Amino acid sequence: MNLRLVCLALVAAVLAAGEARAQMLSPTVSASLISTRVRSQGQNPFIGAGPAFLGQGALALGRLKLTASYLQGTLNADGPFGASRPLVEGTLLLGVRALDWLTLETGPHARAYSLTASTERWLFWELRARAATAFVGSAVRGYAELWRVLGADVNVPESFDHGQGGEAGMIIRLARGPLEGRVGYRIDHAVLVAPTYQRRETVDGLVIGVGLSWH
Amino acid sequence: MRGARHVARLCALAWALGAAPDALRAQSSDTLFATGVRAYKNLEFDLAAWLLRRDLAKVSAAGAPIAARSEGLVYLGAADLFRGRRDSAAAVFRRLVMLDPRYRPSRLVFPPEVTSLFDGVRLQTKTVAVAMPRDTTIVPGPGAFGMWIIASSFQLVDVTLRYEDGAPFRPLYSGPIGDSLNVQWDGLDAAGALPSINRVVLRVASRAPTGELTGIVQVPLGLSLSRPDTLPLPLPPADAQLLPERARSGAAMRAVMGGALLSGVVALLPAVVGGTDARSGPRIAVAGTIGLAGLVGYVLHRPGRPLTANVRANQALRDAWQQRVASTTAENVRRRRDVRVVVRTGDPTTIQPRGP
Repeated sequence: MNLRLVCLALVAAVLAAGEARAQMLSPTVSASLISTRVRSQGQNPFIGAGPAFLGQGALALGRLKLTASYLQGTLNADGPFGASRPLVEGTLLLGVRALDWLTLETGPHARAYSLTASTERWLFWELRARAATAFVGSAVRGYAELWRVLGADVNVPESFDHGQGGEAGMIIRLARGPLEGRVGYRIDHAVLVAPTYQRRETVDGLVIGVGLSWH
Repeated sequence: MRGARHVARLCALAWALGAAPDALRAQSSDTLFATGVRAYKNLEFDLAAWLLRRDLAKVSAAGAPIAARSEGLVYLGAADLFRGRRDSAAAVFRRLVMLDPRYRPSRLVFPPEVTSLFDGVRLQTKTVAVAMPRDTTIVPGPGAFGMWIIASSFQLVDVTLRYEDGAPFRPLYSGPIGDSLNVQWDGLDAAGALPSINRVVLRVASRAPTGELTGIVQVPLGLSLSRPDTLPLPLPPADAQLLPERARSGAAMRAVMGGALLSGVVALLPAVVGGTDARSGPRIAVAGTIGLAGLVGYVLHRPGRPLTANVRANQALRDAWQQRVASTTAENVRRRRDVRVVVRTGDPTTIQPRGP
């Protein structure tokens, strides 16, 4: 599965490489605050929420795009569901802009929960589709992103069944400068199975951030 | 004895010419003239006169240049004078003066008897020659068209432009002339307007100091007006060049519809990805914010809202067009005023009044 993803990324890169020549690099950086909430239903249920910091960076060259993100926060357990959990996530996605408004990305998405006794490590290989277009003049762009987990590697007793996620929101750019603001909502949902039960893991959050984007 | 010898030579020459007419016809005018001059220099004036008359008849018929005819005439007049035919010599010199009022016999070649007779004839003969450009274009105005009137001797002249039927078109000069006179025509008629006809005649009437008409020289002048083409007026800016001055409904509808659609996506996102157990608070907050942004966008881009930047840009475009129209109009006015008169000069003709 991983090999297939790499091949797909390479094909996309080769297709976009011809156009990438003589193009300018367009970097984007952003910092966001996410009110993250995790709801894990299964043998050891957990519901927790807390703020997390999300840093993202992207580098676009023609139709090619390389995106990396890092999220870190602490989830405080709600009520009787145990102790708080530090949460760390990271993505590295290679994308290609298939249409002016549509970008396809693929790459690994890693997540780690630090538990009292151990650390849960999740590694998803994802395929993402992101649509974005301006809808209030050129100042406000809306975006919607959906992703599907193509393969996963988790160090939990349950085995991975399926997973998908999405994010939607808007990016406001009031002036011609590179500064922009972002408001969005993201959610991902993974299902893991064991012989006698199912574990459903949902992570969602409100994203509020600022960024700098040079086109 | 000498006269008899000349007569004998003439008879022999006449016989020879009669016997060989083809050879004579083949003989060039230069040869006749040269032979005549040689005879003149050999003091064979009868032969010289006979040869030079034949030469003149030939070159006149052939329309030879005035200079060629003038040389023949002065030798012929001198030959006649030395033949004792003073009246004939005077007539020849009068013909020469009429042909070329500027002509003066060389005092190195011809003796004083010849030059004094010529000068006497010239002083009595009142005629002029007119020198002017053959084909020219003038801008009407003072001094636009100049012509030189060259007189044979002091006289009075009336220089007028006339219609073809002889009626006066524009008087140019009336008065005395000594050697030569530069007469100017401004290219206009007597009323100061551009000529409405395409043909006039320049008439120079020579008069003796007593007022007696002694000769008329007429030169036909072809006239035509030349007007530069005017420029077409620049076209107004095409609709495609103008920006919309009022907001259309597209941007407003896009804002409200886009906001609504995106709000819906946010609201339905958990259902799409399967996380239906997610809390709804943040989701609704984001959906509401996006919906509100769409409504604000609708208000900002409401249909019919004046687009001041576009109005200014269009006005600048229209102003530039008006400026181009004004400059083109001014240029066309200048071009319409910039009328030129094309003058083509014909061959002069000389009219001699009948003698008493």
